[in-house]
Amino acid sequence: MRWALLPLLALAAPAWAEDPALARLMQGFAAQPRSEARFTEEKAIPELDLPLPSQGTLRWQAPDRLEKHTTSPIDEVLRVEGGRLLYERPDRGIRREFGLEEQPEMRALVEAVRGTLAGDLAGLHRYYEIGFTPEGRDAPWRMVLTPLSLRVRAAVQRILVSGRGAQVRSIETEGGGGVTRMQIGP
Amino acid sequence: MRRLLAALLLLAALGGGLGALVGVRADLAEFLPPGRSPASAFLFRELRSGAATTLLLAGIEGAAPAELARVSRETAAGLRASGRFDFVGDGTVTLGDAEQALLFRYRYLLSPETRPEAFTAAALRPKLEALLEGLRSAASPLLARFGFADPTGAFLGLARAFLAESRLEVRDGAWFAAEGPPRALLIARAQGGAGLDAEAQGQAVAAFRTAFEAANPGPARLLLSGPGVFASEAATAIRADVRLITLASGGLLAAFLFWRYRSLMLLGLVAVPLAVGTLAGFAVTALAFDGKVQGIALGFGMTMLGVTVDYPILLASLRRPEEGLAAAARRIWPTLRLAAASAATGLAAMLGSGFPGLVQLGVFAGTGLLAAAATTRWVLPWLLPGARIVARPLPRPVRAALGALRGRRRLAAGVVAGAGLLLAVLGGPVWQRDLSALSPVPREAQVLDATLRRQLGAPDVRVLFALGPGTEGEVLAASERLGEAMVPLLGTALEGIDLPSRYLPAEATQHSRQAALPTPEAAEAVLREAITGLPFRPTAFAPFLAALGESRALPPLDAAGLAAGAPTLAARLSPLLSHRGESMVGVALAQDVRDTAALAAVAQRLGDPRILFIDVKAETEGLLDAYGQATLLWALAGGVLVLGLLALGLRSPGRALRVAGPIGGALLVTLAALTLLGEALTLFHLASLLLLAGLAIDYSLFLAGDATDDTMGAILNCAVSTLLTFGLLAFCGTPVLHGIGLTVSLGVASAFLLACAMAPRSLPHA
Repeated sequence: MRWALLPLLALAAPAWAEDPALARLMQGFAAQPRSEARFTEEKAIPELDLPLPSQGTLRWQAPDRLEKHTTSPIDEVLRVEGGRLLYERPDRGIRREFGLEEQPEMRALVEAVRGTLAGDLAGLHRYYEIGFTPEGRDAPWRMVLTPLSLRVRAAVQRILVSGRGAQVRSIETEGGGGVTRMQIGP
Repeated sequence: MRRLLAALLLLAALGGGLGALVGVRADLAEFLPPGRSPASAFLFRELRSGAATTLLLAGIEGAAPAELARVSRETAAGLRASGRFDFVGDGTVTLGDAEQALLFRYRYLLSPETRPEAFTAAALRPKLEALLEGLRSAASPLLARFGFADPTGAFLGLARAFLAESRLEVRDGAWFAAEGPPRALLIARAQGGAGLDAEAQGQAVAAFRTAFEAANPGPARLLLSGPGVFASEAATAIRADVRLITLASGGLLAAFLFWRYRSLMLLGLVAVPLAVGTLAGFAVTALAFDGKVQGIALGFGMTMLGVTVDYPILLASLRRPEEGLAAAARRIWPTLRLAAASAATGLAAMLGSGFPGLVQLGVFAGTGLLAAAATTRWVLPWLLPGARIVARPLPRPVRAALGALRGRRRLAAGVVAGAGLLLAVLGGPVWQRDLSALSPVPREAQVLDATLRRQLGAPDVRVLFALGPGTEGEVLAASERLGEAMVPLLGTALEGIDLPSRYLPAEATQHSRQAALPTPEAAEAVLREAITGLPFRPTAFAPFLAALGESRALPPLDAAGLAAGAPTLAARLSPLLSHRGESMVGVALAQDVRDTAALAAVAQRLGDPRILFIDVKAETEGLLDAYGQATLLWALAGGVLVLGLLALGLRSPGRALRVAGPIGGALLVTLAALTLLGEALTLFHLASLLLLAGLAIDYSLFLAGDATDDTMGAILNCAVSTLLTFGLLAFCGTPVLHGIGLTVSLGVASAFLLACAMAPRSLPHA
């Protein structure tokens, strides 16, 4: 009888009865209420011959405010707070507000970065299936996030977040046949 | 005494039964006349049952902006979930996936940018450069999704035009008022595209309040407006207003009469003719108008019948000590009969006004007056055969003052002449030309509605165009012709115009756009030229070429297809395009009109049988002027008739003129006082003046016949009773009630004083 119960117990256990290394990493992120770093980004779009580069600053403020300020080649601000997304392009006087749920591509990316920076493992599990590889001597930790929602997966197939300690170093987004690679400075 | 109690009980039971049997109509629209010109006919149909009746405007205030935004978003979500609303606007308006798909598929048929010259290499090149720049920006996921199938941006242009047209400020997913303290704004359209009845309106209002409460508003307050709110809640507020005033004035009146007569019996006596008059008026009006009694006519009619308390007071006070009530009734009957008949004749002017509400009011009040007089003559003596009610003598100072006033004809003539002169100097009475002044909606509610409308940018329907009738295609084509003619005026004569063709182009237009699209082969050659030097791969725009082929073969989109595939857009279209019988009609709303004449000139120049220009303000003003003039003419005719009646009853034209003097004088003094107070006259003021004339006839007739101290006392009791009833109305917030109260109070006071002054001086003391 005891033996027969075991497989059932295994099923009932939470699917994220977690890698302790991932849990520790998340606690490290949760301990930083704010952070700021430079980034460079390269978008590869299958319809284009060349990748498109850009750079700027990323800012994080717990619990849920994330800002991506691109300074080159154009000046623009993308700010997320709660479920709202604000897009500003000062040189053209453009200021638009959206609900995050209207923009599935944006949402996939935002929740991945925000969940990681907040150290919100439960939040990440709500949107993604997580494959985690702990940090090695010469290799950063890697987290492969696959969106659970089919609607989101139509736009973004996979997000790969990697870093050293409680710092994100790169984010790779694969979607629609293209890849966007973002490198984040220390 | 027992008979009196039984009669009161019987009347109460009859009233209850009649009230249950006859439905009372509550909306202002039915009170209004049917339009006389095509424009006003259209206007009143819209007002009565148009899509405007489905609109609810809301403001949420009284908390921090972030909290207001949350309450607004959750209220909007609750409204959408309730399934009662076609459209909910709150700053988070979006197109669903299915709607986007439909719009995307039909983008080249719907977009006004679809012209042959848009598909040349020269036109495509800047579009492709813009696409490339967009791909560099943070918007790149969006552009990567749509840009390669739609490099001309037809779809994104359509989506932006449909969704982002509102110029409202969005904060945290809620619309906010640009001015004043923080106020989140919402707009909702209840289901039922062709208008709602009062009950459905009430349900929509209740659903709105429920959604607000469910959003845990905390300290935040909901301000709700719109025709539905007016129909349900404002009507309730007025009823409460009237009830309060009725109770207060009833209490004061009872106290006054008890003080003067020290008799509870008199109170019962006064109540009987009033109740009979009201019941008779109600019953006859219901019979004459197919059982449809207008609530406004009922309310104001009952108020007006307050004057019938005069009849029993006169009967009780003029009874000589040696007489029974029956003998007194018989003695004063000729005068009373003449007074009541003249008053009812005066009210007949309302029957000729052609204004449905006033006709009902005339029938109601006229019937009530006659019934109350008859009751006083035949029923009261039977109810209280042995009644010995005696008025206490007037307090000495009052008696002295009245005595001094008596016979001062020159003073009276001087006052009247002064009033006439004042009126002439002031340029005559001011005639109210604003329809909203006739509305039973309290002024604060009207102000709130105007504020919310302005803040939400909802069209203040001052100028509109009626389109059709015709088939859907014909109405939409007319809308397109109008839109084209308006283009040169945009930004100058008007700020914008909401046309049905904005959401759905006419079938012919969609066909011509299909003809403007190049074949995929031709487009491929053009594209190859346009992308020279740009980093696009040769195959990048394959989805665009395929879409061109598909678009050329699509069946045009119609209203039914739009409703099935794109409910948000169909909700925008439905108030602008609706069925009327077999055919369709449309309406185009002009926004921020600065030059009405220029718009009228455009319509004139078009000379299009399916485009009708309507200046709402001018139209309603013209209508009110016409009805006002008609009523005035009928009032004059009524006056002549009353004079004839008096001459006949008094058997002397000279005496008739002497009786009519104080009445005419009182009217003149009242008009002058109203004008001096800055009151603009409405039809209700006019009706009150007619009523006043009826009252003044009582005073004048009785005082002219026999101006003893007793008669004067009796008339003073009547006048004070009327003042107590109507004086409080003057403090009402509802414009119409205020107007009636003020007019009658002023008139009664001046009629009484003038009648006293005109009374013969040297009479033997009784």
